[in-house]
Amino acid sequence: MEGGGDAFGSSTAPLAWHDFLERMRQPSAAEFVRSIKSFILTFSNRAPDPEKDSASVQEFLENMEGAFRAHTPWAGSSDEELESAGEGLEKYVMTKLFNRVFASVPEDVKSDEELFEKMSLLQQFIRPENLDIKPEYQNETSWLLAQKELQKINMYKAPRDKLSCILNCCKVINNLLLNASIVSNDNPPGADEFLPVLIYVTIKANPPQLHSNLLYIQRYRRQTRLVSEAQYFFTNILSAESFIWNIDGESLSMNELDFQRKMDWARERLLGLSADLENRDNQANPDVQERRSQNLKANRSSDVSLSLKDPIQGSGQDMRRDNDVSVGGKPVERVQSVSDLEKKGATELLNDDDLNKKFQEYPYLFARAGDLTIADVESLLNSYKQLVVRYVALAQGMGVSPETTLAQTAQTSSDLVASEEPENVSSVVNNNDNSEGVSKTSDDVASDNYHTEAYEQMTQKTAVGSSDDPKVTKDEALHHPENA
Amino acid sequence: MGCSSSLPATNAGGGGLNNVNSGNSDIDSKNFRVKLVLLGDSGVGKSCIVLRFVRGQFDPTSKVTVGASFLSQTLALEDSTTVKFEIWDTAGQERYAALAPLYYRGAGAAIVVYDITSPESFNKAQYWVKELQKHGGPDMIMALVGNKADLHENRSVSSQEAQEYAERNSMFFIETSAKTADNINQLFEEIAKRLPRPTSS
Repeated sequence: MEGGGDAFGSSTAPLAWHDFLERMRQPSAAEFVRSIKSFILTFSNRAPDPEKDSASVQEFLENMEGAFRAHTPWAGSSDEELESAGEGLEKYVMTKLFNRVFASVPEDVKSDEELFEKMSLLQQFIRPENLDIKPEYQNETSWLLAQKELQKINMYKAPRDKLSCILNCCKVINNLLLNASIVSNDNPPGADEFLPVLIYVTIKANPPQLHSNLLYIQRYRRQTRLVSEAQYFFTNILSAESFIWNIDGESLSMNELDFQRKMDWARERLLGLSADLENRDNQANPDVQERRSQNLKANRSSDVSLSLKDPIQGSGQDMRRDNDVSVGGKPVERVQSVSDLEKKGATELLNDDDLNKKFQEYPYLFARAGDLTIADVESLLNSYKQLVVRYVALAQGMGVSPETTLAQTAQTSSDLVASEEPENVSSVVNNNDNSEGVSKTSDDVASDNYHTEAYEQMTQKTAVGSSDDPKVTKDEALHHPENA
Repeated sequence: MGCSSSLPATNAGGGGLNNVNSGNSDIDSKNFRVKLVLLGDSGVGKSCIVLRFVRGQFDPTSKVTVGASFLSQTLALEDSTTVKFEIWDTAGQERYAALAPLYYRGAGAAIVVYDITSPESFNKAQYWVKELQKHGGPDMIMALVGNKADLHENRSVSSQEAQEYAERNSMFFIETSAKTADNINQLFEEIAKRLPRPTSS
């Protein structure tokens, strides 16, 4: 494999981001910080205009990257360091502008709602056969892993991080296909096998605001970095979106009448579900209905321990294994899975202005390892036990008995071997020129990175005040030294 | 099936073109890269052709890239230039035909593949050729490829017919076998030769 030039392997990415923030704090970066701030300010003074906003961000990033060599904090840096600084800048600027430019016009918001609704309906009756997925490649249980990756897209603000979620999803699918092809002694899978599964997974995952997320990546990911392999897989999800928009009877090989009937049935089923929540009027299948309304109730409750499971369990754990516990055993047809609830909760949390209050009862959430003393152990252990009990109770309430959960964990962790190290793709996001020679990096570090970043978003939300504050840059930089 | 996956992958070193600078389409006048899109009915062996071509580097069990529907391979030419192909595979099933423009947009080359034992796949290939002529870039290099040439006892598309069709449409034509590797390198070398060289230095 071609090595070298991998400036953004997943193991170095958090370091690069940390390094960027570090340099931003240096006095010599003052001028640089001023330019960024005044650029961000120009946005608050004008109405959203996606075309114009995108063009001006792209231009600003390009100019700043060009000017890096002249900036003291980066003077004499290697090409790789400069590229890394470019990534840092993009993430920094876009994290600041996110609220202003993401889904900023009514058309985008409307499209998000329509697409979400269409996928909510489709996911209730679509079958792999409808999309030409051959039986030997069908594996709905393992596809949950790919769905999970895609559902993380709303946990991040930076275009690169969102893109990583898509690439991770694609990578899981590809690994599963590759394994299936080896098992069935078939040809190695190509686009004929890949695209249909991606479409299926996208419909089942149905991440909220998918349309806006894709537009956002397209508009604000630096164009010179959205090339090659990353561009290919990004094109695939755009193409999946386009296919889903246009799905009708013909595109699923069913007659139009049949298709419309299925859509109507799905709509009634969804409406029935919400009606059920109101009057608990159990119909055809009391058992399932009961469970669903419990799901919804759980979702409304203010207990955030489940939603935050990923961010706080960060260090050194295999995140997907943790996730599998929550995904465990839920039939795909189920309207609300634990992961749906988690995703929904996390999204709501990120948009919640009272986030601070919600976290008050979890004193260790924002602690760093160095802050802790031996005396904290007992209290931490208690909190841990409480968390486990609540989680198991919640899982029980969802109809997943603890035994089932364990069995599922064991089973899916063997599946995980198939999808080893999806985090590696982050090097594709970053280093497009080196796509055939992506270096292997530590899974732990990579998932650490993800945890930290999701966590960081939460922290940011709770700890950093208004972004108009001129001190924010510094505050924020000071606030995340634990990123490394 | 079109290509055998049982062959052990040789670990021949890569072409060595590994430019750190990320440019857009070309790198410099000696080393450039090109986006190549693969079109053709499902089952004609599109991905097998590519896997054959990159076999020197491709290990079917390796998990270092996102997946085999995108592969890149660098080819060194006699005039001491190198071409890095970034190969975009497309889904060939009828229901996905409308999505193809997203993939061939901006491509410098296209390979339209059919299966010499399947007249339907040859019809489909002609559909793609028309589509590319209408909507593809004006300078796109197009190749018509009859794959599965090893199955000549089941041939149902004559090479003469395909050759004439290709000539009428100013494409070049070649028959390949991804299974035996026949003509695979020739196919990519020929495309590389025909690519317009970047003028800037």
